[in-house]
Amino acid sequence: MRVLLYTGKGGVGKTTLALASALGAARHGHRVCVLSSDPAHSLADALGQPVGPHLRRVAENVYAREIRAQVELDGAWQSIQAWLRELLRDEADSLVAEELLAFPGIEELVALRAVHEVEQMGDFDVCIVDCAPTGSTMRMLRFPDALRIFMQHFFEFERKGARFLRPLVRGFDAGRLIPREEFFDAFEQLYEEIDDVRQILLDSDRTSARLVVNPTRVIVDETRRSFAYLSLYGIATDAVLVNRVMPESVGQGYFSRWLELEREELQAIKESFPVPIRRVSLRPREVIGVKALEALALDLFGDEDPAARFSTGRPIRFRRVGGRTRIEIDLPGIAKEEIEVLLKGADLHLRVRDGRRSISLPETLVGRSIEKIRLRSSVLEILFRDA
Amino acid sequence: MRLILYTGKGGVGKTTTAAATGAWAAERGVRTLVISADAAHSLGDVLDEPLGPEPRRLAERFDALEIDARHVIESHWGRVRAYLVELLRYQGIDEVVADELALLPGADELATLVCVEDWASSGDYDLILVDCAPTGSTLRLVTLPEVAHSGLRWLLRLQRAAAMIIEPIARGLVAAPLPSAEVFAEADRLFYKTLHRLRARLLSAETSVRIVVTPEMMVIEEARRSLTDLCLFQLASDAVIMNRMLPEEALREEFFREWGETQVERLREVEEAFHPMACLTAPLQPDEVRGVKALAAFGKVLFGDLDPAAHLGRALRMRFERDEQGARIRLPLPGLDPETLEVSRVEDELVVGVAGRRRKIALPVGFAKLEVERVVYREGELIVSFCGPTANPASVPGASL
Repeated sequence: MRVLLYTGKGGVGKTTLALASALGAARHGHRVCVLSSDPAHSLADALGQPVGPHLRRVAENVYAREIRAQVELDGAWQSIQAWLRELLRDEADSLVAEELLAFPGIEELVALRAVHEVEQMGDFDVCIVDCAPTGSTMRMLRFPDALRIFMQHFFEFERKGARFLRPLVRGFDAGRLIPREEFFDAFEQLYEEIDDVRQILLDSDRTSARLVVNPTRVIVDETRRSFAYLSLYGIATDAVLVNRVMPESVGQGYFSRWLELEREELQAIKESFPVPIRRVSLRPREVIGVKALEALALDLFGDEDPAARFSTGRPIRFRRVGGRTRIEIDLPGIAKEEIEVLLKGADLHLRVRDGRRSISLPETLVGRSIEKIRLRSSVLEILFRDA
Repeated sequence: MRLILYTGKGGVGKTTTAAATGAWAAERGVRTLVISADAAHSLGDVLDEPLGPEPRRLAERFDALEIDARHVIESHWGRVRAYLVELLRYQGIDEVVADELALLPGADELATLVCVEDWASSGDYDLILVDCAPTGSTLRLVTLPEVAHSGLRWLLRLQRAAAMIIEPIARGLVAAPLPSAEVFAEADRLFYKTLHRLRARLLSAETSVRIVVTPEMMVIEEARRSLTDLCLFQLASDAVIMNRMLPEEALREEFFREWGETQVERLREVEEAFHPMACLTAPLQPDEVRGVKALAAFGKVLFGDLDPAAHLGRALRMRFERDEQGARIRLPLPGLDPETLEVSRVEDELVVGVAGRRRKIALPVGFAKLEVERVVYREGELIVSFCGPTANPASVPGASL
């Protein structure tokens, strides 16, 4: 199954282009599932028909679903909720347990789980995720890594601790503070699901991100940084989609300054991103409903299959050049001062602005020292000394 | 001190509108601070000045800042964070990673709350404008203190229990660091004092929300849903700002003819849906609005003769009524699908759920002994009628539509 993540700054038309791509992919014979992970869902508004928390057919071979954290939590995480409810027994009620679980970040977690569900169903060739605006999408993509670290280092310890303490505190009020086995089982299962998704997301043969932009400066600036964060988290962006380009027919009157600014930005877009660019003009009316979305897909992709892989580039590359090994990462829109590289044992810690990631080095690189770090035409190069 | 939150779907021009309000208000003599609470900051871009977590003076009486969650958490939450890092490191987690993990979920919202309260209580400003992250996160600002409060009560229980039983055992067996009293004291200060003060401030008459929209259906639909949520949580909205209306000159372009026709329709819809809030319009500008001067000029266009810091319209608020017919609660929830509405009574609280979002409303003392008689949703208003405990023995606590 191919996974396509549509993200970008708020209001650029992520939902519209995600749906257009889904309809276009269906025309090429794929069975497509569209998931909306933005808590402020707008799939239904764009389609002009209802879409709910359960998979629903919206066109031939296209199904859609809005992920609602609350609904998922009610259904899937009974035992975790039960434990919280138990904890809060006489001080609060189930509503509070519910709210405690609905912490920020939960939408991201639930969205990842939903991708796993779609994969398990096996009914779809393509899963398109209409993501929340850039900030929370980055949080979603970072989530599996953080969870993995938590599980590896912390979880088993907690579980053992709980097993040990449970008999000792039985009968005491504090006894209920210690989660039961089911809680750990539920958590572990959740973790396994999320870890599956992590592997799907990091596999550039299966997963691509698509960045949606409009040709305005603030949006292009932010999107460059998003591209860099995606690279850092190991997610391959295979295309940048430019939405709402002023059509040729608009003259030099009121919009002349806008046209001028737009030309500059279109040029900047071409120069900034090391992937193919697809563009589509502003429409003479709002794009709402299946028909209008299908027409938009044709203008955007022409005869191409929107589910195709537009670029085979990888975000993080291990290469040998002149007998030396180096790591390359595409980081457009990032200045040298915003990057930190730290080599610690078998892990390479990277910090790019406020994003961080640890990469495990292949065995051949473990123990080698870094010879040079440089940023050349938006590519971070980390050169290793030979053994 | 007047506090105004700007919210709306991404890309509608929240930041520009908030900054323009600030620049224009400052020019009119009001000491103003604009705070960007969107983790993907663009306030600095719009003002054309680099901004940091401390206020930066951009013009006379006009300051701006961009919240840095890390910075705020460090100063208010340093001990708790240090404890978490210590605990994680004890588990063999690398410091760099521990540092990252200890940034709790909700850190951004928490940082916003703390930062706004700090400056609101500083006495340095007459007007604070918050450029919020896209729709949804504004609400979290109100719900977080409640949730955090429950979380803390839980933590305190844990501490008590830990001190009695678990700690002596755990100390010997697992040797993991346990939180010290200072850690709890700090959490207490943050949650009880700062957050609760701010929550009270958000719900007070000095605070308003302004919803920014553009004349597009998808944008307006989202704004209507967020108005419902804002009403449910009793945040008062005083105005809706319709941004990027195409001016006459722009409509001379044949291409925009149909856009011109629909925007008239959309404006009418907005005026109706958001009544009795004020509805302001701002024309699409012929050039980027960037820098303090351009923003102040745009603010002048937007507000005309109105005071940008005033209460521009009437907010929809919940009312408790009592007369000879009985007692009732009227909660305005405009534009709601009654199918998604659930109402139930839990002891002396009323629980109202809208499309999966639930809120508890504490009943006033006079209502506590009464039974829910009838729940109706009519003309954008939820009306819950009560009757005396003996008047209607058949009624059961908990009623739904």
